[in-house]
Amino acid sequence: MIRVDKICKSFEGQQVLHNLSFDVPDGRITALLGANGAGKTSCLRIVCGLLQADSGRVLVGDADPASDPMAVRRQLGVVGDREGLYERLTVREYLSVFARMQGLSGAALQEALQAVREELELDALWDRRTKGFSQGERMKVSLARALVHRPRHLILDEPTRGLDVLAVRLLRKTLLRLRAAGTTILFSSHVMPEVAELSDRVLVMAAGKIVGAGTPEQLATETGCTNLEDSFVALAYGQRPAVAQTQGEPA
Amino acid sequence: MDSRKRLIPHRLRYSLGITLFAGLFGVGAMAEQGAAEMAAPVSETCYADGWSESLRCYRIPVGTDSANADDLVKLSVLVAPAVNGGQHEPLYLLAGGPGQAASDLVRLLNPLRKLNRGRDIVMVDRRGGGRSDAFDCGFGAEIPNNIELMTAQLAACYINAGERPLTINSRQTVEDLESVRRALGHERISLWGGSWGTRTALLYQQWYPDALQSLVLDGVAPIDTKVFLAASAAESALQELEQACSEDPVCAGFVNWRSQLDNLLANWSHAQASNFPDPFTGRPAEEPVETWMLAGAVRTALYDPAAAAQLPYAVSEASRGNYAPLSGILGLFADMEGAMSLGLTYSVACAEEMNRIDAADIDRDADDTFIGDMFIRIFVEGCKVWPVPPRPYDAPEPRDHPVLLISGSADPITPPKYANEQLAYLPNQQHLIVRGGGHINSPRGCVPDLILQFLDQPDATLDDGCIADIRRPPFAAGAFGPALMPEQAIPEADSLLAQEHSAGGAGENPEKLEQRAIPTEEVAGGDQP
Amino acid sequence: MNISNVIRGVKQMAPLLRKELLEAWRDRRALVMAVCFSLMFPAALAGGTIFMIKKQSEDVTRVALLGAERAPLIQQRLRSPNLEVSSLDSGSPRELLAGDYDIVLEFGEDFAQRYQAFRAPPLYLYINSSDTGSGRAQRDIQERLGALQQLVVTQRLAARGVAPRLLAPWRIETRDVSTPSSRGALILATVPGLLIMTLFVACLATAVDTSAGERERLSLEPLLLQPMAGWQIITAKTIAVASLGWLGSLLAIATLLLLMPVMPLTELGIQRATTTGGVIAMGLIMLPLALLVAVLQILLALRSQSFKDAQTQLSIFQIAPLVVLMALDIAQIKLSDSWQLLPLVGHQQWLKGLLVGGAVSPVWMIAGSLVTLGLVLAAVMVGARALRREGLLSAS
Repeated sequence: MIRVDKICKSFEGQQVLHNLSFDVPDGRITALLGANGAGKTSCLRIVCGLLQADSGRVLVGDADPASDPMAVRRQLGVVGDREGLYERLTVREYLSVFARMQGLSGAALQEALQAVREELELDALWDRRTKGFSQGERMKVSLARALVHRPRHLILDEPTRGLDVLAVRLLRKTLLRLRAAGTTILFSSHVMPEVAELSDRVLVMAAGKIVGAGTPEQLATETGCTNLEDSFVALAYGQRPAVAQTQGEPA
Repeated sequence: MDSRKRLIPHRLRYSLGITLFAGLFGVGAMAEQGAAEMAAPVSETCYADGWSESLRCYRIPVGTDSANADDLVKLSVLVAPAVNGGQHEPLYLLAGGPGQAASDLVRLLNPLRKLNRGRDIVMVDRRGGGRSDAFDCGFGAEIPNNIELMTAQLAACYINAGERPLTINSRQTVEDLESVRRALGHERISLWGGSWGTRTALLYQQWYPDALQSLVLDGVAPIDTKVFLAASAAESALQELEQACSEDPVCAGFVNWRSQLDNLLANWSHAQASNFPDPFTGRPAEEPVETWMLAGAVRTALYDPAAAAQLPYAVSEASRGNYAPLSGILGLFADMEGAMSLGLTYSVACAEEMNRIDAADIDRDADDTFIGDMFIRIFVEGCKVWPVPPRPYDAPEPRDHPVLLISGSADPITPPKYANEQLAYLPNQQHLIVRGGGHINSPRGCVPDLILQFLDQPDATLDDGCIADIRRPPFAAGAFGPALMPEQAIPEADSLLAQEHSAGGAGENPEKLEQRAIPTEEVAGGDQP
Repeated sequence: MNISNVIRGVKQMAPLLRKELLEAWRDRRALVMAVCFSLMFPAALAGGTIFMIKKQSEDVTRVALLGAERAPLIQQRLRSPNLEVSSLDSGSPRELLAGDYDIVLEFGEDFAQRYQAFRAPPLYLYINSSDTGSGRAQRDIQERLGALQQLVVTQRLAARGVAPRLLAPWRIETRDVSTPSSRGALILATVPGLLIMTLFVACLATAVDTSAGERERLSLEPLLLQPMAGWQIITAKTIAVASLGWLGSLLAIATLLLLMPVMPLTELGIQRATTTGGVIAMGLIMLPLALLVAVLQILLALRSQSFKDAQTQLSIFQIAPLVVLMALDIAQIKLSDSWQLLPLVGHQQWLKGLLVGGAVSPVWMIAGSLVTLGLVLAAVMVGARALRREGLLSAS
C-alpha cells in the first residue's frame, strides 16, 4: 500500500504538484496516467524518497521516505525512465551487486538471482557485459534489478517506452504474476492502450493534480466516454467534462 | 683477525708484568679496542682544507698492545665516502715525507674525484704525523735557516721525547694501517702511495699481502733504494731540464744558464747571501741565504715542472745580479710550512735510511752534481743528534699484486730508474712515465683516468698514449713571462738594469730545510725525504 | 554514529565497493591513462638526465682562432679534451658562429709585441649568447684561458721576486654541508610534484566517470534508490578512484626506482639514498593523499553540469595545486615544520626527503596523514550531502 497525502512540490518557484493525494492498493496494478510534464516523475521520485516534498506526507507500506528512506528503499523496487546500466559489468555481476546491497547473501542471494534469471528470461544475457544491449534487453535487466530483492512495492516510470512487442509482453506477464503475488505496483505512462490493458486502476494526473481515479471503465462512465483516451482527455484537459462530451471530441 | 684477538690478552699479561703503570693504560685501552672491534667505529662529519665536501672523521685507537704508555694514540682517519658505496675496494692514500700527513692529501681528491664515485678514499695520519699527535719538535712555520740552530732544536726535542723516537718507524705505521683496515671493516684495500708513501705501501705489501688488492705508486721509493742519496737524481733532473730548454726555441736563448748556475753556487758570497730579497717583503731577507739553501731552492724547483720552467731565466738574471726571479721561485714554495712533522721524519729517516748510507755512498752520489752533499748534510747532521738503532728491511719477496707505477722522467728525488731497477720482484707491474714530469704526477692530464682504469681492471694493460699529451709548461722568457711566439724569443737582456740592482738591492729568503715543490696546478702527494 | 554502526556500514558497503572497483579497473581508457603517465614521467626524467650528462661529457666546444699566428703559444695551450681548436686564416666571426663554431677567438694586431710590452693586447671573444651551447663554450674557454693567464701571472710575479701568494691575502676554504644524497634534491626536485601529479592524472578519468559519467548515463538514480547512505556511496567511489591513483603513483615510484640505476646520478656526485623503508613510507603516505584527491575530484565532478564540464573543471583543479607546489619549490620558501600538516605541501616535503634519504620525521608524516584523512572524512560528508541535491537527478 502506497499512500500519498496532500503533497506539494515546487521547483524554482514553479509549483508542479498541488496537494496531490492518492492511494495505491496492494495486489493491484495502478497506472499514473498523465501527459508529459504533468508531474508524474516528480511524484514517483517523492514516493521513492529521491525528492523531498515541500509539504504533505507519503507512506510506502508503513514507512515515510522523508523520515526513514532506508526502510522505504528496502521494500521498494524501482524501474526508472531511460535508466542506465553499468556497462562494464555483466548481468550477473550487476544483479548480484544490487541484491547484495539489498542485504541478500549466500544461498538466498543465489536463489534470488536464479529466480529473476528465469522469470525475466535472462539466460542468454547472463554473463554478457551490458554494453550495447537493446532497449528491451536493458528493460529486462532493469526490471530484474528492481525485483531481485522481492520488494513489496514496485514502481515503474514509463516502463514501455521504446520496447518491442516481445518485451512488452514479458513485462505484462511479469506484472501480472507480481500482482498475483500481492505486490503493489505503480507505473506511470502516457500511452493509453497500454494503461488500459495493464492497469487495474488508473490515476489521471494533470498539472500536478489527480483529476480522476478508478478503473478505466469507471473513468469512462464518469466522463461519459467510450474509451480511456477520451476519458483522459476529458479529465486532463476538459475543464468542462459535460461540454467535452457534447462536443464529442477532446480539446 | 682471530690470531690478533688471541694475541692481545697475551701481551696484556706481559705488560702487566713489566710495569703496573703501562698495564693500567693497557687495560683501559683494551676495553676501547674491544669495543672498536665489536662495533663499527663511530665517525663524525668533518672537513679538511682543500676539499669542500664533508668527510667522515674517525679516531681509531692503536698502540694499545704496547708496553709504552707514550704509544697510546688515537689515529686520525679521514674517509671521503664513495658517492655510490660498496662497489669497489677502498683506496688508502699514503703520504710522503716521512713526516707528511695523509690529511694534507685531501687536495688530491679533486683530481681523483672520479675514483671517489665507486670507492671510499681513506687517509690515515700515521702516528706522529698530522692530526695523529704530530711529533713536530716545535718546528712550526718557522724552521731555522741555519743547520746549527736546527740541529740544536732537534737535539733538545730528542732529549725530551723519551722513547718516542725509538718507536716510530715503518713497521709501526704498517701495523697501525692494518689496525685501521680491520677497525673499518675493510676486507681488501688498494693503496696509493706518493713518494715516501710508496715505501710504506711496498712494506705493507710485504707484510700483509692478503689484505691488498692492488698498488698505485707515484714517485717510487723502492725498499732497496737509498732514496736519501738524492744528489745524482737531482743532477739528472737538472740536465733533463737543460736538454728540454735547449730544444725549446725560446729557452735556447739562455745559452749558458747551467754554467752560470754552477758559477753562482761556487762563488756565492756573504754579501750576496745577505742581500737576497725576501719574496714576501721585497726587503733583504732577515737571515742570509746561504749556498746550500740556494742549491736547495734549485733542487726544489725541479720537483715541479712549472717552477723548473722559470729556472733558466732566473739563473740568467741572477748571473747578471738580478736575484728577484730566483727569489720569486723560492716564493713559490711558501705554502708548505708545518707540512712535515720533523720528529717523525728523523725517527724514520735515521733508522731506516741514514743508517744504511755511509760516507762513501754520499761521496759517490755527490760527485759532479750541482747540489753535492748540501742536501743530505741536513740529515747527516740531524741524525747525529737523533740516535736510533738501525731498522734494516728484509729483502723483498715476490708479490703478484697488480702494481701501477707512475714516474716523472725529470723527478729530482725518485727518478723512474729506481722503479725500473729495484722492483723486479713485482712481476705484475705497469709503469707510466710522464716525460718532463717532476715529482708526483697522479693529478696531471689523463693520469687520474688511467689510475681509475687500473683500479677497475688491474690486470688489463693500460693504453697510456695520452700520457704524451702532458707537456712541460712554457719556459719563462723574460719579465713578461712565457713568449707567445718563437720569433719573439730573444730573452730579455736588460743587463744594464740588472747590474744596477746587483750592487745593493738584494735580499734573502727564509728558506726552509724541507723544500718541497708543490706545483701550483697540481698537488704533490708528499715528498721525499 | 558509533563505532559498531560504522563497521556495519562499511560491511554493507562491500557490494557497492565491488561494483565501483570493477567498473574503475575495467575502464580501459582510464587505466591506460594512469599507467601511461606513471611510466612516462620516470622514463622522461631518466632519459633527460642521461641525455644531459651525455651532452655534458661528450660535447666538445669548437673554437675558431683568428690571427692565431700572432700567439702560437695560446693556440697550443688551449688544446684540451673538451676544446677543439682550429686556426683559421680569415673569416667573419658572425659567419663562423652561424656555422660549425661555438666560439671565435680573435687576436688583436701586434698581439705578441704588445703582450711583451705589458700593454695588455685585446683578445676578442665572439659568442652568440642566444645559442644554448654558448654558456658552456664560454666557460670552457675561459677556464682554459684562465689557467694560462694564471701561469703568465705567476711567472711575471716570480720574475719580480714576488711570491704569488701575495696576491691572495687570505685563502677561502669552501665547506659544503650538502651530502651526496642531498645533492640529488636538485635533480630529483621535480619528482615529488610529478608523483603527486601522477596521482591527480591517474584519478581523473575514473573520478569523472564514476560521478558525472554515472549521472549522465542515468545509472546514478538506481544507486541512490538502494538502502545505502550517502557517505557509503561516496566512500566506495572514493576508494575505487583512489585505488587507481594510488597504484598509479606506486607504479611511478617503482619505475623511478628501477630506472635510477641507469640514471647517471653518480656522475653528478649524487648518491642514491632511497631506502627500502623510505620506499614503503613513500607508498604509504601516498594512500591518504590518493583518497583526498579522489574524493575532491568526485565532489567537483558531481557539482559540474556535464561530463565535459567535469573534465574541464578537473583539469583546472589538477594544475592549480601543482603550480602552488612548484612555486613553493622554486621560491625556496623555508616553511616551518607545521606546514607539513597541510596535505600536498607535507607530501611534497616528505617525498623529497625520502627520495634523497634525508631526515623525515615519522611523527610529522603520521600527523600530516591523519590531517589528510580527516579532510577525506569531511569531504565524504560533504559528498553525502551533495548526493541529496535535487539538481543531481536527471531532468525529465
